[in-house]
Amino acid sequence: MADPKASPVEALSPASRAWGEIGPRSDYPRWGMVVDQERCIGCWSCAVICKSENDVPLGLWWNRILTDGAALDQPVVSESGGMEMHWLPLACQHCENAPCVRACPVQATYHRADGIVMQDNDRCIGCRYCMIACPYGVRNFNWGAASRPTPYETGMVEARPLGTVEKCTMCVQRLAEDQVPSCVWSCPAGARVFGDHNDPDGRMTTLIREREGSMLLEEAGTRPAVRYLPPRRRSPL
Amino acid sequence: MSAATPSVNPTTPGSPTVPAVPRPETRTRRGPLVAWIALLLALMAVGVGAFGYQFANGLVVTGMRNIVMWGQYILFFMFFVGLSAGGLIVASAGRLFGVKAFKPITRLAVLEATVAVILAATFILPDLGRPERVLNIPLYFNPSSPMVWDITIVMVYMGLSATYVWLYARADLARRGSWLAFGTGTSNRTMAREERAKSAMAWVALPAAILLHSITAWIFGLQIGRGFWYSSIMAPMFIASALVSGLGLVILLALLLRRLRRLSFRDDLVAMLGGLLGTFIVVEAFLILAEYLTALYPGAPEGRAAARMLSGPYLPLFLFEVVIGLGVPFLILAIRPLRRRPVWVAVASAIAIVGIFTHRLNLVLNGLSFPNVDLPPGLPIGVAQTGSSFAESYWYVPTAIEWMVVTGILAFGALLFTVAVLYLPMQEHEAH
Repeated sequence: MADPKASPVEALSPASRAWGEIGPRSDYPRWGMVVDQERCIGCWSCAVICKSENDVPLGLWWNRILTDGAALDQPVVSESGGMEMHWLPLACQHCENAPCVRACPVQATYHRADGIVMQDNDRCIGCRYCMIACPYGVRNFNWGAASRPTPYETGMVEARPLGTVEKCTMCVQRLAEDQVPSCVWSCPAGARVFGDHNDPDGRMTTLIREREGSMLLEEAGTRPAVRYLPPRRRSPL
Repeated sequence: MSAATPSVNPTTPGSPTVPAVPRPETRTRRGPLVAWIALLLALMAVGVGAFGYQFANGLVVTGMRNIVMWGQYILFFMFFVGLSAGGLIVASAGRLFGVKAFKPITRLAVLEATVAVILAATFILPDLGRPERVLNIPLYFNPSSPMVWDITIVMVYMGLSATYVWLYARADLARRGSWLAFGTGTSNRTMAREERAKSAMAWVALPAAILLHSITAWIFGLQIGRGFWYSSIMAPMFIASALVSGLGLVILLALLLRRLRRLSFRDDLVAMLGGLLGTFIVVEAFLILAEYLTALYPGAPEGRAAARMLSGPYLPLFLFEVVIGLGVPFLILAIRPLRRRPVWVAVASAIAIVGIFTHRLNLVLNGLSFPNVDLPPGLPIGVAQTGSSFAESYWYVPTAIEWMVVTGILAFGALLFTVAVLYLPMQEHEAH
């Protein structure tokens, strides 16, 4: 394992502590996130801020909110007969056993020392085998020239070139400045908590432990760094 | 008269060959040939133009999107890998197991395998978003990716099959005094050595051909995220598909070349190959049955993709694959009087090739059209458009650009084959 001290993530500033988690960090951070499905109100704020933070062109989404219902705006009828609606915010799961990292022919998709799955857009050959491999469908391809609502580029990162694959980076540019990812601080319901999986006393790990945080498509054996807290007001999914 | 002796051996005026080697008619009327080559060159030019357009504008000009991110190009890639592997397996197995009757078509089969694998490799290029970065594959080789191993075996196999073609042709080339023989003589001792070299080559080529198509199958079959593909039957099924389509194409090409007087063999051989093709079709159908039964029986979510194949817009494609693509050619080949008539064997071969193509089409389409996490609104399709850019499923239809690129590459293959047949003797003669 690479020297964790070499990681751009040294410490999170007090400002970011307000948005979640810090506490005593481990020596070898493995960053992750937990999404509380009970708190999520399906407002798409995190999806929209993700687009502006990372300059994601029109037609591509690194982060999107799925509705657990028959359609986007149709609630399901619960076992007790009442109507209910829950959401599944979905972005890269930053799997520990990532199928995309195995599949990429040119190692353009790789793990950072802190567990974040990254994409090297200067190396990517655009074969899209990582999109085949990903069980979650969170990878986007730059099919054509990027189109934006304004003539200006937005966000804090470089735009990705035509013909390459892009996806959520857990806002590494923000982590390097001791800030939590944009989707975390922008959530009006506080449904997202960022943290370190190797810190057993952190807020995120405690939540996962106490509320039985689950992995999406656990049977695929990918061991995601993103976990979901099921809503308590209804029978589990 | 043995099966391998040409039944048609007209005079060959102007032919420089030693009379001991009977050669079929090799005169070609110039007019049609020139027109044919001009047509192929024109189609290739269209293909190159379409590829240039795609390179400039990105893969947005294809029908592929984030949900179905592989389409026509990958489909043709694996189809041609199959055609190649199938042809070479039949040719080299015939040699290894001493099936003398196959001899007249061995060279043709090896040539078909070579041209097909060159086409397969060509089909990779237009599929890449950044074809100019293709050298990153050897530079940053990721050993855990099935794709790099597939590209490796395609390259190795291309070299092997080209050597194999040359090995078959060089004795005749030497007799003609061609420089392409690279110094091979025509003495009896050299000829005996040639035969040993061909046998040795068959030992290498047979496992290479099987490996070639197995690794192509594993590109798909090892992906746990794709339920319809994640199955240990993929490699055997790909081999069976390869045998059906590869042998089918060899039969068609052999009959075509016989018609053009480039090759001669008796109808017995056609009937025999037809019987073999029928057997391969049964194996393919058996593997499809085993796959679908295993997927559907538990009635569990894992079988969703297979169940989808039997409903909605996919059902006609599935019925075409199984009933027309496999059933009809099997019936034709199972009826003895029909099997003895080359025209019916040709019809059965053509339908079987289309059937295998449909099988692969269904594999790609149904394997990709529906995401695992299938809640609304679905996946962003990857381009800006009026209305929602999300879709829960996607019905892939190739665009005209994709067809032009594919036609161009097919024309390139036809040109390679035509030139090879013009310059390399196709008729394999009896061993001394």
